[in-house]
Amino acid sequence: MEEQEFLPRIIGFLCNWCSYAGADLAGVSRLQMPPTLIPIRVMCSSRVDPLFILTALLRGADAVLVAGCHPGDCHYQYGNYYTRRRIALIKKVFDQLGLETDRLRLAWISASEGGRFRDVVTTFTQHIKEKGPNPIKKEIFL
Amino acid sequence: MSRIGLFLCECGPNIAEAIDLDKIAEFINKENKVAGIERHRLLCSEEGKKFLAESIKQNQFDHIVIAACSPKQHESTFMEVLSQAGLNPYLLQLVNIREQCAWMTPDKGLATKKALRLIRAAINRVRFHSKLHEKEIEANPDVVVIGAGMTGIETALSLAQQGRTVYLIDKDKLGGMLKNLKRLFPGMLDPQRLLQEKIAEFNNQTQIKVFEDSQVKEILGFFGNFIVTIINKEKEISLKAGSIVLGIGAQEFVPEGMDQFGYGLKNVYTALQFEKEGLTKIPDESKALAIIHCVGREKLGYCSKFCCVNSMKLAHLIKEKRPDIKVIQFYQELCLPGKEYDKFYRETREKGIEFIRFDKIGVGKNGNQLELKYGSGDGTEKHLNVDIVILATGLIPNPETKDFAQMLNIAVDDYGFFKEEHIKLGPVSTLTDGIFIAGTCQGPKDIKESILQAKAASGRILSALIPGRKLPIEAKASEISDSLCMGCGICVQVCAYGAVSIDERKHISVVNEVLCRGCGNCAASCPSGAASHRHFTNQQLYYEAREILR
Repeated sequence: MEEQEFLPRIIGFLCNWCSYAGADLAGVSRLQMPPTLIPIRVMCSSRVDPLFILTALLRGADAVLVAGCHPGDCHYQYGNYYTRRRIALIKKVFDQLGLETDRLRLAWISASEGGRFRDVVTTFTQHIKEKGPNPIKKEIFL
Repeated sequence: MSRIGLFLCECGPNIAEAIDLDKIAEFINKENKVAGIERHRLLCSEEGKKFLAESIKQNQFDHIVIAACSPKQHESTFMEVLSQAGLNPYLLQLVNIREQCAWMTPDKGLATKKALRLIRAAINRVRFHSKLHEKEIEANPDVVVIGAGMTGIETALSLAQQGRTVYLIDKDKLGGMLKNLKRLFPGMLDPQRLLQEKIAEFNNQTQIKVFEDSQVKEILGFFGNFIVTIINKEKEISLKAGSIVLGIGAQEFVPEGMDQFGYGLKNVYTALQFEKEGLTKIPDESKALAIIHCVGREKLGYCSKFCCVNSMKLAHLIKEKRPDIKVIQFYQELCLPGKEYDKFYRETREKGIEFIRFDKIGVGKNGNQLELKYGSGDGTEKHLNVDIVILATGLIPNPETKDFAQMLNIAVDDYGFFKEEHIKLGPVSTLTDGIFIAGTCQGPKDIKESILQAKAASGRILSALIPGRKLPIEAKASEISDSLCMGCGICVQVCAYGAVSIDERKHISVVNEVLCRGCGNCAASCPSGAASHRHFTNQQLYYEAREILR
């Protein structure tokens, strides 16, 4: 039965200084969560080119999480503000392309927020489970 | 075709029990993408590192994937092993199958699946890793200290005692806030004597060069190589240093426009004004004096933490001079942290100084005297006539704080003080390498705490800038392709470190590798794909993501 269940595949771009460390902390604290989020470490959330997000979704990721330091806490001063704007902008593009904006989530997770990382992964997974697989997997797109 | 070596670390039982490593090895083997798979019980142990190095040499691997713990834990350890084995350390991809897989996934089957996905992605990515070289730059061990108050003086002395050349700059004379004070709490020390002693110590230190009455005009450069231009008596002087300490202090908040405290009336002083002038001008007929605490705290939004004790110090000073005057302290809450201040409070009470807690207070004129109207929580308004009112106000940032912040690209907090790198872990460093902050320019504090910060900043500099040693620069920096760049300048705007600039002649962007911290923002913003982030190139990240989604 377990095998049949839909397990979303979520790509998580985690910034090295806060969110990746937060995810590590979640592990160190043995917080349990679904194995749906596959992390990709980047130095700063501002490294995440909106094209990465689009490509990931077009290639069949069920969702994309971009996580960075809390506003004002960026290791690189203002990087996460750029991320925030880019995500807002790319969501507008999603509408145009007919992609679902709630398959992309931006979260601020600090290095001390292991619990928050678990919550984000768990709720996001739950949400995507309810939505079902990324329709692009079935439909021919573009 | 590269020879990729995959190393699976069991991490004792940590990984081996949560993930089926045999299954992973079997699967990867079938894919035929790696040249060899090795497994070890504990790769970060001395024996494990030896095993890794020997295996790399024996099998002639040219790219390495290690599936073990978080890169935050042991990436540098394994990079070192790669170097020892004669391989460029950046040809490594460490896969985090412990923290972010084994430890957070209770189901062994699912954990194995996730680990496999992570490892396959890393194998796909590592193929595109290229050799990076850690460059080093010459660094100047000298230090420029801006602000010659207690903080600046202590910093200069600590550094000079270790043989460093220090340039101590102040727009005024040596001494800072200390010059205005008559006594220091809680020991009632004489600040002028303290200052004289410190200045006398300067005379023994030929390495300290003092520039009084000097303005900082410009600061250029970066950690290891700053050039500070100052104007001293209309003459420009250029100072070279590797690091800069800002100890520009703060100033007293003057409650102008806050009419309820009667500021502006005769015999109403702020604490500092009273200590400077009022103390010597207490009228002979004075009988009572009130000190109102926490003036402006609500407006400023923070507690300055020294003013309660400072008010008690003033009470001691007044009693010393005029034992006949009654001193009443009006407070809302008393801030008496630490082992010294509570004792000082008790000593103050023993001297017969009265403490009244108020919930509202107003100061007005009543003939020759001042009238206090206050409530003490029981709903009734009480009246008291006094001759002098002292307003204990807090500290506000030095107005030059924002100019320096802009000049040096460092942050200020919501209140306008310099913001430290980290509230707990980096209390004297800033986001710009080589720039340190100490004393009240970082936030209100007493002299003891300022000195602590001065020592902390000197310690950081002494351990980071060592004469004769070079400074490593970030290898994972950005690079901008000459041929692809169209000179739009977006990268110049997004760079928080001023590391990207436009080459006016070629009209393209160029990266200053020394300034680049390697965040990758420029690479994400480049519309023409000219900017790339080493070790996190588009290609590397695309292939990593692609394999995850396969």
